[in-house]
Amino acid sequence: MDKTIEINNLSKEYKVLNRKEGFKGAILNLFSKDYKYIKAINNVSMEIFSGEILGILGRNGAGKSTLIKMMTGVLKPSAGALSINGNTPFKNRKQHALNIGIVFGQRSQLWWSLPCIESFKIIKEIYSINDDVYEENMNFFNELIPLNELMNKPVRLMSLGQRVLCDILASFLHNPKIVFLDEPTIGLDIDVKDKIHKLILSLNSKKKTTVILTTHDMGDVDAICKRIVIIDNGEKIYDDKIYKLKKYFGPNKTLLAHINSNKIRDDSVVITNIKKLIDKHIQLIDYLSVECNNRWIKIVVDENQISVLKVLNLIQKEFDIDKIEIKEISTESVIKKIYEGKCL
Amino acid sequence: MKNYFKKVKYYIHIYRMILIQDLKTKMSFRADFLISSFSGIMLNAASFISIWIMFQNFSSIMNWNYYEMLFLYGFSLLALTPQLVFFDNSWVLCDKVFKGDFITYCFRPINIFFYYTFEKININAIGQFFIGVTLITYSWIKLGLDVNTIIVFKLIISLLTASLFMIAIVIFISSMSFWIINAKGLMDFFSKFKDYTRYPFTIFNNFFKFVFSFIIPIGFVAYYPSLFFIHTEELSWISFFGVFYGIILLYFSYKVWVKGALQYSGTGS
Repeated sequence: MDKTIEINNLSKEYKVLNRKEGFKGAILNLFSKDYKYIKAINNVSMEIFSGEILGILGRNGAGKSTLIKMMTGVLKPSAGALSINGNTPFKNRKQHALNIGIVFGQRSQLWWSLPCIESFKIIKEIYSINDDVYEENMNFFNELIPLNELMNKPVRLMSLGQRVLCDILASFLHNPKIVFLDEPTIGLDIDVKDKIHKLILSLNSKKKTTVILTTHDMGDVDAICKRIVIIDNGEKIYDDKIYKLKKYFGPNKTLLAHINSNKIRDDSVVITNIKKLIDKHIQLIDYLSVECNNRWIKIVVDENQISVLKVLNLIQKEFDIDKIEIKEISTESVIKKIYEGKCL
Repeated sequence: MKNYFKKVKYYIHIYRMILIQDLKTKMSFRADFLISSFSGIMLNAASFISIWIMFQNFSSIMNWNYYEMLFLYGFSLLALTPQLVFFDNSWVLCDKVFKGDFITYCFRPINIFFYYTFEKININAIGQFFIGVTLITYSWIKLGLDVNTIIVFKLIISLLTASLFMIAIVIFISSMSFWIINAKGLMDFFSKFKDYTRYPFTIFNNFFKFVFSFIIPIGFVAYYPSLFFIHTEELSWISFFGVFYGIILLYFSYKVWVKGALQYSGTGS
């Protein structure tokens, strides 16, 4: 695969005034030259391949936006090299803009009072898109979502979901090599989120566009990204396939079982009983955590040492179980632990 | 050179598209269109009445009689129209920069000033154009000025160059939003100066004359170019200088605007 984006030791520093508090401080601030430098992005290197869907994750203020702004050419890096399709983004902004598309979940780039189709026509002229390419894309878009009801509606009358769908389509109209999606599903319902996931996946597979997604919604990441990069405090702390992330945590599974008996009143008795039970039959006890709440037993099992079914088999001999549930560890909880520094 | 023409053609083509679309949507909100045109006319009528009342009590202001004042007023209305109609988006730049919406203008393969400024056209302000034409024609007849092709041509040229000043001022002041967080106050402050364009500059003392000629050059909006037609005894090199000064100012404020826009990096999110 060929590389679309190459980032080498990229850093971005912001000059910030050391502000003093209070009214006296505010006056002193006017004349102060006491600056400090804040590293928004610190020595980040990565490669992004063409046709890939990459998720960039990070807490608020981690530096995601700064990274994206540098890739789109709005911000100039303080140090390091950034090359997109062989170009340096901030040096030739107009040329770079022809190769990228951008969608902001919270800000529309379509003309607010115009019907959507008219915005598309203006975009066609701005990017000098050929009639053939335009027709072909519109037909393809129409296969993905029925456009008829959307296209003649002014953008300001659209629901948020419709607007984001149109914004995404508009960003693909000029066949860009890279599309940046900045929190595209923010504030949307599950149904529309699902539509957007499908839309992005089919646009990506048909047009081989590189898609770079920033989001806080793990649902987006699980649905469309194969690889994720996690940024924290301006540094890259994870960069790999998404399924490998789960392996970091060992093959833990959570077993939930509900006891169908009113006789049991005390949850702590249940816990000690289960622990005794497992201790008796299997000697390795330290890899299990057992909790009990309102007759719901929760056991986290390390599948490398014992299978969930074996544990289930054990406890259902002792207790009358009527409901069970087996949960994989979610990406969200893994990432949360990464932020807390418990992993890597 | 060929490339250059191609570029100009490209921009004119896009502008035409935006203009047509904007007109279409404006027409679809008929009530809105009529009411805002009406309010624009009433606003001008109010300030016209204040001149009229003034002249009920005084016969002239610094040797300028009623019709000459009307001419000046009409001239200023006409010279301010292009700014109102075509550069209306400049007034809201500070909000867009402050809230971070301006970032969406940074990603198109097109001149960012063009893309932002001409996104909207305030066609409602065209009412002001007709009031201006009426006032100038009326005072022209009353003052008994000559009518020939040369003088009409001269009027059009001086109106066009005069209109550059308000455009340049608004572009320059709005571009300050890129550096200072809340430029709204500054915009309001400068929009007030529009009213001073309607008076003959002989009413100001030397200090204000200097300020309004070179620092905040509103004198070139109506007073100095009007001297080509009325009160020609007050005509000096400044009026001729204005023709070039407008172009220089416009170019300068455009450059400042673009410099600001290119270093803009949005809000924190």
